[in-house]
Amino acid sequence: MTRFILRRLVFFVLTLFITSVLVFALTRILPGDVARVLLGREASPEAVQAKREELGLDKPLAVQYVNWAGDFITGDWGTTYSTPREDIRDLVIQRASNSARLAALTLLIAVPLSITLGVIAGLSEGRFADGAISILTLSVVSLPEFVTGLFLINTVALGWGDNPIADRLGWFPASSAIRADASFSEALPAMWLPAVAATLVLLAYIVRLVRAGVIEELKKGYVRTAVLKGLPYRVVVVKHVLRNALIPTVTVIATSTGWLISGMVVIESVFSYPGLGRLLINNAIDNRDLPLIQAIVMLTVAVILIANFTADLLYALLNPRIRLE
Amino acid sequence: MINETAPDARSARWRGSALRSARSTGRFLREILRSPQSALGLLIVLFFLLMAVFGPVIAPYSTNDQSSAPRLSPGTDGHLFGTDYLGRDVFSRVVLGASSIFRTAGLGTLIAVILGTFTGLFIGYRGGVVDEIAGRLIDALLALPALLIALVILGVVRNLEFERGSWQAVLVDNSVLLVIALVYVPIVARVVRSSTLEIKSREFVEAAQIRGESSFYIIFREIFPSVVPALVVEASLRFSYAIFLVASLGFLGVAARPPSPDWGLMVNENRGGLFQLTPWALEYPAGAIALLVVGVNLMSDGIRRAVQRSG
Amino acid sequence: MAQHSDPVLHVDNLSISYKVGRRWIPAVRDFQLEVCPGQIYGVVGESGSGKSTAAAGIMRYLPANGRIEPGSRVAFLGEDLAPKSRRAMERIWGAQMGLVPQDPGGALNPSIRVGEQVAEILRRHTTLDRAAARERTVEMFRRVQLADPDALLTRYPHELSGGMQQRVLIAMSLATSPRLLLLDEPTTALDVTTEAIILDLVRNLIAAEGAGAIYVTHNLGVVAQLCERVVVLYAGEIMEDATVAELFAAPRHPYTIGLLNSIPRLGQTKRDAALQAIAGRPPSLAELPRGCVYAPRCPLAIEICRTKPPLEAPAEGRLVRCHRWQEIARGEVSLREQAQAGIEDAAPVTGDREELLEVTDLTKHFPVQRGLRNILRGEHPAPVRAVDGVNLGVQKGRTLGLVGESGSGKTTLARVIIGLTDRTGGEIELMGIDVPGTVRDRDKSTLAQLQMVFQNPQNSLNPYLTVGQALRRPLIKLAKVAPDAVDAEIRRLLTEVNLRPEYADRYPGELSGGEKQRVAIARAFASNPALILCDEPVSSLDVSVQAAVLNLLARLQAEHDTSYLFISHDLAVVGYLADYLVVMYLGVIYEVGYGSDLFRPPYHPYTEALVSAIPRPNPDAHSARVRLSGDIPSPRDIPTGCRFHTRCPHKVGAICEQEEPPWRDDGSGHFIRCHRELWDLAERQQATRIEEED
Repeated sequence: MTRFILRRLVFFVLTLFITSVLVFALTRILPGDVARVLLGREASPEAVQAKREELGLDKPLAVQYVNWAGDFITGDWGTTYSTPREDIRDLVIQRASNSARLAALTLLIAVPLSITLGVIAGLSEGRFADGAISILTLSVVSLPEFVTGLFLINTVALGWGDNPIADRLGWFPASSAIRADASFSEALPAMWLPAVAATLVLLAYIVRLVRAGVIEELKKGYVRTAVLKGLPYRVVVVKHVLRNALIPTVTVIATSTGWLISGMVVIESVFSYPGLGRLLINNAIDNRDLPLIQAIVMLTVAVILIANFTADLLYALLNPRIRLE
Repeated sequence: MINETAPDARSARWRGSALRSARSTGRFLREILRSPQSALGLLIVLFFLLMAVFGPVIAPYSTNDQSSAPRLSPGTDGHLFGTDYLGRDVFSRVVLGASSIFRTAGLGTLIAVILGTFTGLFIGYRGGVVDEIAGRLIDALLALPALLIALVILGVVRNLEFERGSWQAVLVDNSVLLVIALVYVPIVARVVRSSTLEIKSREFVEAAQIRGESSFYIIFREIFPSVVPALVVEASLRFSYAIFLVASLGFLGVAARPPSPDWGLMVNENRGGLFQLTPWALEYPAGAIALLVVGVNLMSDGIRRAVQRSG
Repeated sequence: MAQHSDPVLHVDNLSISYKVGRRWIPAVRDFQLEVCPGQIYGVVGESGSGKSTAAAGIMRYLPANGRIEPGSRVAFLGEDLAPKSRRAMERIWGAQMGLVPQDPGGALNPSIRVGEQVAEILRRHTTLDRAAARERTVEMFRRVQLADPDALLTRYPHELSGGMQQRVLIAMSLATSPRLLLLDEPTTALDVTTEAIILDLVRNLIAAEGAGAIYVTHNLGVVAQLCERVVVLYAGEIMEDATVAELFAAPRHPYTIGLLNSIPRLGQTKRDAALQAIAGRPPSLAELPRGCVYAPRCPLAIEICRTKPPLEAPAEGRLVRCHRWQEIARGEVSLREQAQAGIEDAAPVTGDREELLEVTDLTKHFPVQRGLRNILRGEHPAPVRAVDGVNLGVQKGRTLGLVGESGSGKTTLARVIIGLTDRTGGEIELMGIDVPGTVRDRDKSTLAQLQMVFQNPQNSLNPYLTVGQALRRPLIKLAKVAPDAVDAEIRRLLTEVNLRPEYADRYPGELSGGEKQRVAIARAFASNPALILCDEPVSSLDVSVQAAVLNLLARLQAEHDTSYLFISHDLAVVGYLADYLVVMYLGVIYEVGYGSDLFRPPYHPYTEALVSAIPRPNPDAHSARVRLSGDIPSPRDIPTGCRFHTRCPHKVGAICEQEEPPWRDDGSGHFIRCHRELWDLAERQQATRIEEED
């Protein structure tokens, strides 16, 4: 097992390194001069040169990378290019915690729901329940986040907004543009709709994988053994099948963080929720703020990799084949 | 004598194999059409494909014709889907937008499939260190969400300006398509690699090695045909994700630039405070995206099942 | 034999169908059987005969697309099972009816400890509490001779070998003392030495428990050694039903006779007689022949066989479904006359011929990946020594048989010789010329001289290339056949392997297993090689098809003067085809001799164990049982001294653990590597001598 964990740890560090190189390269090697991009077409050559020196762009790429990575690791993420010049670390961490809240709420809804649906679909393969669930997931998977998001705003927030109870509670506002430093209880009403939209993103993905896992396990020889032991069907399913079918789900949930994050970028944008995704679109990309882009991407990648690594650990713990090695 | 018979025999053989592959494609199509859902999916995709090809013929207005009054509701003054806040005909824009989604998502997927197939075949067949390194690299790339990669690349690239007609400008103009290809190459490569690894160990490949066939022959003649089923399934799946991705990127404002009739962009342009006034300008393109993705998903589901059935 | 009282199980008129597409395919028709307490009833048939389906139908556990036809009657302990609900069946399954399945690895839940998997069935069906169930589990583990049963409770299935897993399953199915046990090919996935131990166990436990048992198998040898009665199935129908003694002594159905004749017997060689193969292949269940299902393949079929024969009783307790059983019984018609003479070989086997292939000190070690601990300590973990210093020679036109259990390194040896795997050390010479390590480094003429026939015909042909295309490549590439002559050459090759020339346009998917293997053989012969490596070429084929392929190999060898290196785990098959014999254990050769040396002592103690483990298709053959204790050690951790000492029944003492045994030679070309003298071995092994069988 230590061997397995060490291998995953090496992979974790390696991936982080590769991505950091890619992220770095993306902003440096792309055609065009960063300083020029930053200052616009009209800037004088002298100004561009000065900017290049300020940014350290005149040094060799490897040196630039080491400097950049070193700063990043020591917590010096720099200030934004665009005005007002803010400290990137503070900004990113504040927005990231907002996104994390939303993600947590989403997972809380999505995981139990989708596992239940997946198990039901898998157990009733080819029958009515399976068909209904698969039509549901197929239609959900076919709708881009912004379409579901706008649909929710249109019907729920605007349609029910006049409902006096919802109005008093302040639930389902059409826009989730709360203050970036809002407390959890302040933010909660604004989070419901984005969370539902994000749940739909995950739902289809997890349901399909759980369903496939259950169907695959049901075909295995040990299920026949268990049934022919005379165990009641419920016991066969809960004790024998689900134990094996749900172990991989741990990994599935972790890998779905990637989905969740990309979904979140769009959803935050639709609902104007002050999270990391919105920061990326509105501040970083719209302003071509390279340090900010780098910081956001690196943080996101680290989160995804940590999630994957944790999943690997859990998987190893739950699976005797790996645990006992 | 030899010169006369040999090409003849060869062409007969070729005709035979072409006939067989046509027959098996026909059988495969029938297999897909067996379920009504996948037939419907195929129909939807064909519908949009026709729209993409004949868009300019069908559309009553041009993309940027602002001659009509703004915010006409659907059905008024011959505007089937109404007009948007600038008075552009929504129907025409939806119809004309079809071609751009097929060009970017379709072509991007195609490039990804071709490059990914070559890469996957190569690293899967070589195995050993090459596979180890390439496999890790692919895993690393796959850890990043496609949307994030695309967003960052396009966010940085789209504002670069080059001389018209220079190669850089061509790259930037086609950046969406290239980004789609880029993010999906590793995914396709991984699928092809794993099926290559599996097929490589089959005994017919070893029989070919024993008679001293070149790697090129073994990869393309012996292994590749067995990879095709998995590849077809993956390609159709990729296509549906690509449409999704293009639409999302358009919506986030990094793919197409106004006044392009990109569906995602249209949704974006017509929201904000204004969309309550012209919901149709947003609903029709959004509906088009949803319908197309549903179609592609149904079709790809059908393809997957057909492949499984024909073993 | 056990006392027969009321039958445990009475099956009458059992018919089972599967829904495929929109059609119902009849898999089993009119099956009947009666099992008494203490009786082991064999159900024997080839693949597709419906034997496993019949067993599943008896348990009323069919896949979702299967159904038991109305009119079927399965009475268990006097009660009809048909009207019983799923709930009621749950009280019978496991409690009164147990199943020992085919694939022991897949039949255990990978994430539950084996102790719990057995204890669970006890808690379900008995009043035992947790502690008592645990105790009973340990007791059951002890009864199936599992070592250290207490420690075993907390193990997971993947930590056990296949033989141990199967013992756990037997312990599980017998824990509740059921009245009926169904064993569905329980030893098919196991090595012959393990199989022998499991069969002993099953025989003793059934006798002790007094339960009835149904033993489903394709192996007539197992039936002969284990069962009291047997029913022979073909294409879903009963062909014959009799006591084992009667069936083997006087079979009445042409199919039974054909099956018995097609099995190579220990001691029978290609020089004695060709095997009597059954022509053709079993019918597809979707398109059964109108009359007798066996008629299309039956050499005795006449006009009347176009009508369906009834199931008749030629004597008390016998059944046969054949129009001509009376003529067969009276000896008026015989299948014997069709028997062909053996292969005439000009050179007697004793006369040596020139050496074609010479392998010297060949080793293949697979490195084991270093773990972190190894790296920190600067250690290199011991490699897997799959082949560890092998010397052997193959003579021109002769067959060298290579036998050993799985894990003995025989397949690795073949792969190294053919060049699919690079060797670690040693030399290979073909006709006196050094052969490089891998196929990449070998020139065309070497490649043409060395060919291979693989084990699994399913995978040895590319499903996307026609038979013609598969044969074309080696003809052009290696045999240098002119392009305009290739088509004629393909036709010739197909004819040589008894396939019609039209097969050139077919895809492998349209061929049966036996036909695919013929094409693979034709492909190997295309370059007219000097040596063909055959790696278990018939082990995945049904018995009736296997005989035809063996005959083909023998005939082609005689015609082309080709040499074979023939690998098999089936000693009877090797004994039939091989002129010389090599026995391998853990990467090393322990015995070299003539093919016929298999049948008389002295043997190496390992060879002796292999020979005596074969379940022989003759109920009267009760050879002394030499059983090996434990499993074959891991090739990563090879025992010191004689590698076989951990399992050897004739171990001398400390010397076996410390010193490599010397080669002992009887002067005629039979070598044994053992610390015991040859006369000593011969004396100790008298009991396992194989009496001549007809």
